[in-house]
Amino acid sequence: MKRKSIGETMPNKTIGLLGLALAGMFLAGCMFDVSHANLQPVSFAAATGPAQSFVLNQNVEAKLGTGFPTRLNVLTRWHQVGTTEYGDVFATKDQIVTVEASNIYEAQLVISNRCITGFYLPVDMKFVPAAHPIPIETKSVN
Amino acid sequence: MKKMLSLFALVTVAALFTGCASGPKYSAIHSTFPPIAQDSGRIYFYRDSMLGAAISPPVKLNGNPVGTAQAQGFFYVDRPPGNYTVETSTEVTRRLSLMLDSNQTRYVKLNISMGFFVGHVYPELVENAIGEKEIIDCKYTGGK
Repeated sequence: MKRKSIGETMPNKTIGLLGLALAGMFLAGCMFDVSHANLQPVSFAAATGPAQSFVLNQNVEAKLGTGFPTRLNVLTRWHQVGTTEYGDVFATKDQIVTVEASNIYEAQLVISNRCITGFYLPVDMKFVPAAHPIPIETKSVN
Repeated sequence: MKKMLSLFALVTVAALFTGCASGPKYSAIHSTFPPIAQDSGRIYFYRDSMLGAAISPPVKLNGNPVGTAQAQGFFYVDRPPGNYTVETSTEVTRRLSLMLDSNQTRYVKLNISMGFFVGHVYPELVENAIGEKEIIDCKYTGGK
């Protein structure tokens, strides 16, 4: 007895749909790995003088073009740990700060002219710029 | 048909539990863990979800295997202060970079997300208040 081919048992439309679904699944699989943070080279110098500190007066959502914004909480206290060509670098013990893409990086805040310019990644020693500078309201503390 | 359904249910349940951790719960054992040495910090790794239990990739810290991402399991390592990279690999590799201070405790949650052929396990740094709560029912796998 002759076996029937797929084309004989399945209408062309179904085969087409199945192909489309498989292609979609394949592309979706590829998409899992396409969110990359824009890691820039940076020179970091640790703070030596008296550290500047401030309290953040607002919640901030910093978009980095990765699809995963970094959120900073109101009333978190930040102290300067260094400086880069993109601005001064601040760290906090009040919340975890990460830059998230396909990989996740612990990060520190970079501020220039009262605007967030991006994040410094101390483990990778790179800078990730914000999609655009974000003005912030802060209160200086000693 | 009834027999087939029962068999299917049995296989499903078995598949669900394969790969789940089986040690003592964090809540029962954590008081027996030694205190963190003065010149070290501690990193807890935990996976509180049962989703994708059959997938349990090794967890690497700075390239060295330190344990397995078992469903509902946890383990910890003590390390000197410094910079660390946590890595898990299934069909893709996911990384987390973090800093560890002296006498500091950090919690790394091992999440599972959808993949093409198999799920992806990705490490995420969580706030201690969250980690302390979520780890409670996880079972100790003893690390590497």
